[in-house]
Amino acid sequence: MFAPMLTLGAYQAALYIHQRSGSLLLQPVIVTLLLVIAALWLLQIDYDQYRQAANPIALLLGPATVALAVPLYLQRHRIGQLLWPIMLTLLFGGALIIFLTLLLAWLFGAEWVTLMSLAPKSVTMPIAMLLSEQIGGNPALTAALVMLTGVVGTVMAPSLLRLAGVDSPVARGFTLGMNAHAIGTAYAVQEGGESAAFAALAMSLMGVFTALVLPWVM
Amino acid sequence: MALQVLGSIISFLILPWLPGPIIGMLLLVIGLVLLGGVPDSLERTAAVLLKYLPLLLVVPASGIVLSHQQLAQDALPIAGALVGSLLVAIPVCGRLLQWLVRRQEAR
Repeated sequence: MFAPMLTLGAYQAALYIHQRSGSLLLQPVIVTLLLVIAALWLLQIDYDQYRQAANPIALLLGPATVALAVPLYLQRHRIGQLLWPIMLTLLFGGALIIFLTLLLAWLFGAEWVTLMSLAPKSVTMPIAMLLSEQIGGNPALTAALVMLTGVVGTVMAPSLLRLAGVDSPVARGFTLGMNAHAIGTAYAVQEGGESAAFAALAMSLMGVFTALVLPWVM
Repeated sequence: MALQVLGSIISFLILPWLPGPIIGMLLLVIGLVLLGGVPDSLERTAAVLLKYLPLLLVVPASGIVLSHQQLAQDALPIAGALVGSLLVAIPVCGRLLQWLVRRQEAR
């Protein structure tokens, strides 16, 4: 009973902090996550135990992902109209993300296994773990890196997008979904229906794109 | 009704290649196109689920704690690659798509 209460309590606290501060850095997902990790660490709770106890919450994640179909459906005409811009951004942006990740990690002297575990970092977790295994990475490390990417990307995205002058909901949502998968999409959902639909679309397309490209390049 | 729709979609999730929820999402889009609209009950259920999406992600995400040793081992390259690629890719993707969308709409 404790784990769900801890998670929900942390979420309530995060929402409160978010409303009071209005700061972009203190997004509810990230604050909740930090509070939960801090509590697990302070109270010396084993993650596996927490995970099992919090399972009722985690079980809803599948249906919630499926529920993204509703904004996608409502925006279907807009998506159809913008098919070419979307595909070009996916091809160019997707290749850029993978290339930069590998190049920078290599320049900083990462080991091969780390390199291969980093490659699928912007992809939603289940696909990323399969890919990591396929190209010789460490799936557990990839899972952590994917989560980290989602969190860091979601923290960085709002200010970067503002600095770059990106105000179209289509471009904001798509960028969030491409770079920060589910966590970015969760943030895009708060921005509105159009942003949510393009984030969900980007998350799915980026998964498929990386799954096709990565094993072929490596 | 909404739960039924969701339930039948979850049962599809056993397909092995892409992750189940993504297949479920695609199937539901196809289902809605065939249906020609979003049933009221489904729309309400989806709105509630999406509202709490950030909360739901916290449980798997806190699994980061399991890998802190591996992360610490290669901390510099990981931090460099992660922050560096996001720093470049986020503005580039955003600008590119916004520019392409506006160009198409101007025509």
